[in-house]
Amino acid sequence: MHPTLLSLAIIAYVAATGLSLAYLVQREEWIHRLASLATIGGWLLHTGALLARGLQLGRPPLASLPEAVSVAVWVVVLLALWVERQTGVKVLSAFVLPVVLMFSMKASTTRSLPGLEPALGGAWLWVHIGLTLIGIAAFVLNFAGALMYLLQEHQLRLKRPGTLYYRLPALETLDRLTYRTLALGFPFLTIGILLGVLWAGPAWGSVLTFDPLALLSVVAWTIYAGTLAGRTAAGWHGRRAAYFAIVGFAALVLTLGAGLFLPGRHGS
Amino acid sequence: MPLFVAGLSHRNAPVELRERLAVEEDKLRELLRDVTATGTVEEALILSTCNRVEVYGVAPAPGEARALAFRHLCQHRGVSPALVEPLLYTHLEEDAIRHAFRVASSLDSMMIGEPQILGQVKEAFALAQACATIGPSLHPLFTQAFAVAKRVRNETEIARHAVSVAFAAVELAKKIFAGLARKAVLLVGAGKMGELAARHLVEQGAFPVYVVNRTWARAQEMARALSGTALPWDELETALAGVDIVITSTGAAEPVITRAAVQRVTNGRRARPLFFIDIAVPRDVEAGVDSLGGVYRYDIDDLKQVVDANIRERHREAHRAEALVEREAGKFVARLRDVEVIPTIVSLRERLEEIRLGELRKALARLADAPPETRQALEALSSAIVNKILHAPITKLRESSRAGAHRTWLELVHELFGLTRK
Repeated sequence: MHPTLLSLAIIAYVAATGLSLAYLVQREEWIHRLASLATIGGWLLHTGALLARGLQLGRPPLASLPEAVSVAVWVVVLLALWVERQTGVKVLSAFVLPVVLMFSMKASTTRSLPGLEPALGGAWLWVHIGLTLIGIAAFVLNFAGALMYLLQEHQLRLKRPGTLYYRLPALETLDRLTYRTLALGFPFLTIGILLGVLWAGPAWGSVLTFDPLALLSVVAWTIYAGTLAGRTAAGWHGRRAAYFAIVGFAALVLTLGAGLFLPGRHGS
Repeated sequence: MPLFVAGLSHRNAPVELRERLAVEEDKLRELLRDVTATGTVEEALILSTCNRVEVYGVAPAPGEARALAFRHLCQHRGVSPALVEPLLYTHLEEDAIRHAFRVASSLDSMMIGEPQILGQVKEAFALAQACATIGPSLHPLFTQAFAVAKRVRNETEIARHAVSVAFAAVELAKKIFAGLARKAVLLVGAGKMGELAARHLVEQGAFPVYVVNRTWARAQEMARALSGTALPWDELETALAGVDIVITSTGAAEPVITRAAVQRVTNGRRARPLFFIDIAVPRDVEAGVDSLGGVYRYDIDDLKQVVDANIRERHREAHRAEALVEREAGKFVARLRDVEVIPTIVSLRERLEEIRLGELRKALARLADAPPETRQALEALSSAIVNKILHAPITKLRESSRAGAHRTWLELVHELFGLTRK
């Protein structure tokens, strides 16, 4: 990763996070505008950092997990900006950016290894990583939507409107957001994991080698698969769907955490 | 000439007095003419609503102007001036400007952020304009007051959150549903407030509307009024299954919608949210429905609680609005003062230019056969000297106007340079 550009990007994300949270309590339009600018600025710097790193390596900066997480953050920010524009849910970034920040801090402080041995590379590997990352990015938004849903629903049940009641959009909007992000993220995650499994066979010698990340990702996938099935087949909605989104995301975080902290083939 | 506002409002005058002083349009015209006819008041605008009676004007002696205006008013309404006089407040100049901005922005209203006052000020302005009592001072003041009011409405949320129970219910519905378009409404009972809430929902696009009532004729009548469909009483539960929002306002002593009934219905709804607005006392919907997934129930107390929170929210926003008004008033005052010093700056320039041209002509007459370059040099030299000399006093005048101390400086400049007052 290009160190200066990346640090600048993280500084911009920190500023954007602070401003987005401030906008939650202090509804001044200019705060939101500044937050958006900081987010876009951070994203552009981040783009620069990733490009620089890619050029330096002569391959996509995706080979080690910290690199991949950084790219995932990049996708999340882009997606969040787009969804915010599409749905008009201006408080979305207040729920997405803290997560983004947590990940990008972690990714930037973890020592980046030279990456996978070239022999293990190949186009399918990049596709595996790329698709999984897009899936993860969608699930970050899925989590943010679910969190907002639960907060708003809590406010409505309390019957005593607080600041968040005025700030957060309608339950239906949030439920739709969680459903759409789930429907978007799931196929990417599925194909991503499948490719990983197919690739792992020849590369690692066995599909069932113990790799914490691989195993946990299957757990997360199962939770999401269950939620999607529940939503489409059994008509789950609202609170239940939101709880599942949160559990699924926790599993996903655990997965990435395992990849970052535990020894395994995904390298840290 | 001082700008002033004098009057009384809901803040200090009781409603019995305010209603006695409220004036209709014809009489307002007459009053405006009377007040400006004597020359005591140069420009005037009278704002008369049920919450305030105020005279805005420009007069050499505001105290006299105020006495004159209210003497006329009291005479017309048969109220003793002795009753009114002690309640009157007067604001001058900057304070009058701020007051005009605050009133138009609905910051001085009984219910902060209520929308009527701006229209009332606009009407008062139009009337005064028609009577030709608006001049170079009040015209910019009120045009700016309208602009400030618009900014306050757009940039703060003082007018955004509902302060009536019926509207609060609509707002709640908008926090549950992404939009009210094509949301089905069921109205149970024939209470006035229920009908009002249903009407608000329909205005926001809710459709279709079903009406259930124990009295069939009443149900039909209400359905007609709301362009809805009347359903017989025993179809209440069936109707529940298909709608999104239920408004209840029956006079029944026992709940007409039980938890069991709602539970039976929700199974078929696939957790589509169901919102109960229970305006009836005693309540029509069993409180137990709260614990069902996707079901939200607000009774009259809950709605009042929301209204209270909304009012608190408006007051919080009012602080921001006040700051905005304060900034705008400051800007307006600065602009007015600039306007006041400009004539002096112009005559100062004219005076020095006159001297320069006179002296230049004399010098050139003496140098009859000087080459054109010399003439040009003299021209440039004299202009430069004049500009250099003017620079300091003009800057000082502009600065003093911003600091509010321009009157003494204006005098001084006039004295020093022998300028004649226009």
